[in-house]
Amino acid sequence: MRLLRYFLYRVMQMFPIALFIVIINFALIHMAPGDVSILLAGEGADPEYMASVRQSYGLDKPLYQQLGAYIGQLLQGDLGLSFRTREPVIGIIAERVPATLLLAGTALVLASVLGVVIGSFMARRPGSALDTAVTTLSISLFSIPVFWLGLMLILLFAVTLRWLPSSGMMSIAGPREGIGFVLDVAKHMILPVISLSAVWLGQYVRLARSSVSETLAEPYVTTARAIGFPERRVMTRFALRNAMLPIVTVLGLELGLLLSGAVLTETVFSWPGLGRLIYEAILSRDTPVIMGAFLIMSFTVMLAALVTDLLYATLDPRVRL
Amino acid sequence: MTPTLVKTVRATVRSWPGVLSLTVLLGITAAALAAPILSLPDPADMAFDLYQPPSSSFWLGTDNFGRDIFSRVVWGARVALMVAIGAALLSILIGSALGAVAGYFGGWIDGLLSRIFDIFLLIPTFFLILLIVALFGASLPLTIIAIALTTWPRSARLMRSQVLTLKSRVYVQAALAAGAPHWWVIVRHVIPNGIAPIITDGTILMGMAILTEAGLSFLGLGDQNMVSWGSMIFEGQRHLRLAPWMSIAPGVALLMLVASLNLLGDSVNFAMNPQLRTRGGAPKRRASVAPPKGEGPATEETPILQVEDLRLEYTVGNRRIAAVDGVSFSLPRGGALGIVGESGCGKSSLGSALLQTMPNNAELTAGNVRYDGRAIILGGKPVVEGGRSRIDALRWTRIATIFQSAMNALNPVTTVRRQMMDALRLHRPGISRADATDRISEVFDMIGIPRSRMNAYPHQLSGGMRQRAMIALSLILEPELVIADEPTTALDMLIQDQILGEIADLRERLNLSLILVSHDMGAVAESCEVVAVMYAGRIVEIAPTRRIFDNPAHPYSRTLIGALPSLTGPLEKLESLPATDTAAAAAATGCRFAHACLAATDLCRKTTPPAMNLGGGHVCECHYAEDFAAETAADKREVRA
Repeated sequence: MRLLRYFLYRVMQMFPIALFIVIINFALIHMAPGDVSILLAGEGADPEYMASVRQSYGLDKPLYQQLGAYIGQLLQGDLGLSFRTREPVIGIIAERVPATLLLAGTALVLASVLGVVIGSFMARRPGSALDTAVTTLSISLFSIPVFWLGLMLILLFAVTLRWLPSSGMMSIAGPREGIGFVLDVAKHMILPVISLSAVWLGQYVRLARSSVSETLAEPYVTTARAIGFPERRVMTRFALRNAMLPIVTVLGLELGLLLSGAVLTETVFSWPGLGRLIYEAILSRDTPVIMGAFLIMSFTVMLAALVTDLLYATLDPRVRL
Repeated sequence: MTPTLVKTVRATVRSWPGVLSLTVLLGITAAALAAPILSLPDPADMAFDLYQPPSSSFWLGTDNFGRDIFSRVVWGARVALMVAIGAALLSILIGSALGAVAGYFGGWIDGLLSRIFDIFLLIPTFFLILLIVALFGASLPLTIIAIALTTWPRSARLMRSQVLTLKSRVYVQAALAAGAPHWWVIVRHVIPNGIAPIITDGTILMGMAILTEAGLSFLGLGDQNMVSWGSMIFEGQRHLRLAPWMSIAPGVALLMLVASLNLLGDSVNFAMNPQLRTRGGAPKRRASVAPPKGEGPATEETPILQVEDLRLEYTVGNRRIAAVDGVSFSLPRGGALGIVGESGCGKSSLGSALLQTMPNNAELTAGNVRYDGRAIILGGKPVVEGGRSRIDALRWTRIATIFQSAMNALNPVTTVRRQMMDALRLHRPGISRADATDRISEVFDMIGIPRSRMNAYPHQLSGGMRQRAMIALSLILEPELVIADEPTTALDMLIQDQILGEIADLRERLNLSLILVSHDMGAVAESCEVVAVMYAGRIVEIAPTRRIFDNPAHPYSRTLIGALPSLTGPLEKLESLPATDTAAAAAATGCRFAHACLAATDLCRKTTPPAMNLGGGHVCECHYAEDFAAETAADKREVRA
């Protein structure tokens, strides 16, 4: 009950944020140099199509009515048409979402689990030589440009050693079903997942290291030790359990950054996800697709924040309305 | 240069990551600044053979247009640094200004701005920058502005919280009272004092800005008129198989610059808060000893706890501070000892030493502790028997502790009942759920917590209830000895009194032995038969409670009791003692209290006072103990007559 109320409250709070993002989008397209109708319909579009775009976006009407028309369209799930393919942007994006989810999700799980394990381990011996070395290493990891790391992995494992495929999500003539298909996709996933998660691993190791070492200094940990709980249990039940709160928050907040990393990774590996779509849209100046992608990414991050909040509320009994 | 700044810089260059990152940063900056005067080939000049691998004439090879890659990398550093400095400066400028305004004025302005900070936090900035650059055309200045416009809430949030703490400071209030306008106070006093963490964050911001620009360039949204490392990799990607050096060099440069920025920020952060590096941690393994031979069985007369010459030292930086400096006492079974002293006198360290829960930078360097006649610490080392530390075998079943519960002594994410259940089942693995619940209810009834509050989380209880829950937790396994460390601090007077009364009552009913650590003489008077007064790491006086109140023999005890020492001047002068630097007091020759004692003589300053036995269990470390004890008694007689 408490959770449900909290959830609804947070959902309500998301509306102004969503509106704000939509307005940014709207403002940007109107402030950008060049005619709005050309930006939306594409250069050299036929007059008939141009007229229909002007009509649906209400471009001859005053600005506030245009905003109204724009919001109305968005509410119907209409993000406009790609002027490269003349297909609805929403459909093009939806098609690409699963691939991105697969890549980003795998990398997120891998990096966060491994990061929390390594980070908590380092928190046991703060200030030791190993701790300093791992901290320095993780800082270096998240300083690597993710797309460059991808290129280097391709150079090593695909070009030089020829162990793994360098691009795509599946082999051209490979199996399309069954275990063979899964293995084929998995093989294609290895390099992109390593690039993306390596960079994020550094971030999560540091995050976990600092939150766990902070909770280890809390009085309730001393109580647990005085009671006589074995150190492993002190670590999991007391330290890690409480350290999860900041970790979960930051994980949720940094999803946007993870997604931007995913876009760059997809570009390097020609992974057929949203990132690749954005890249292609940039190359062909396909504004509706870029705008749509920004909106979808923003809403995804908002949704993630909502899930994070909910997770936080289940983890921390102190969250109350 | 303020002293803190000097200290920070010094601490930064002392750590190897700090030195390493500064060196790399200075090297890259120097190369970027010197690029025009280093006789390098024009980075845009397609003058050489295509795809030349690295060699002595082309250090990093040439690219697909026959341009010298080394020269391009050096020129690229200029773009990277421009982006870093430009974007970070602009972002910090906007952020600190808005953050300062929000924190300073509070109210609806703060509400509105904080809301905007939060919204920005939820916007995937990279995509917003990408959209801006895609719509407005790729150019370096635009990229810099776009990065600043999307990252400023970082600095704003930091500045806001800084200002919230700063604005109540005396100098800010003084400036306002003197009639200074708000904007002046913000610019002159608030921002300069709150900027340190924002500068640290600035290095991280710079790294982010460089990576963002590189990412944009890699997606083909780089400035066409500039040599950027990102666009070099963008071009190199297409020639990866033929000329891998085209992508390797700019990537290494990016990595080095960004890593050194992040590393520098990290080092500065640690230099400013050194405890961040060493706080917490798992308890370190300490050298242990085997139990001594010939330990006789305990008898009725054997004290439950016997402490001999215990010494506990903290290592702080290069200094070693003896917080407990040769403490001895003995607690009879069923007895209650109060340990009193000002904060920092070592009384809580003593408690943690007895339980062996001291932090990792503390170490027992000498002394023995016997529990029920059996040594648990010998020569400062824990006694291990059969692979298990003897203290571990006593934990909670025989020795329990009550911590000051206002300080988060209970796990905040677990219900009180669950915490008691866990402790119970840890030590009595066979106990059934029903029996455990019965036992918990029993203890709750005994402590006076309504059973309905059993499933509450600690934060749902009032301060007094939370403290009772802590007491309940300590009693759940029926221990013989309870060490209570400031159990009533931070509670209001009425509740304090109630809880102390309950502790005294429980002690009688359960025949508990008790050690009560407190800064408050009154608190121990009620529940303890014997009081030990601690000062600068030593017990300076120990006596039965009546005696210490009637005949305090140590000048320090007198100030604690608030007695009027007729020999040494008016009360007001004694009531506010100068703060004690335990380390300095312990290092000085003579009596530790001499620096603050109004009756101090040359003898006190030169010779360490011996332990004077005044009879009847009254021992005092003061050269004039006998005189003081007698004098007070005389006064008492006088008053009565």
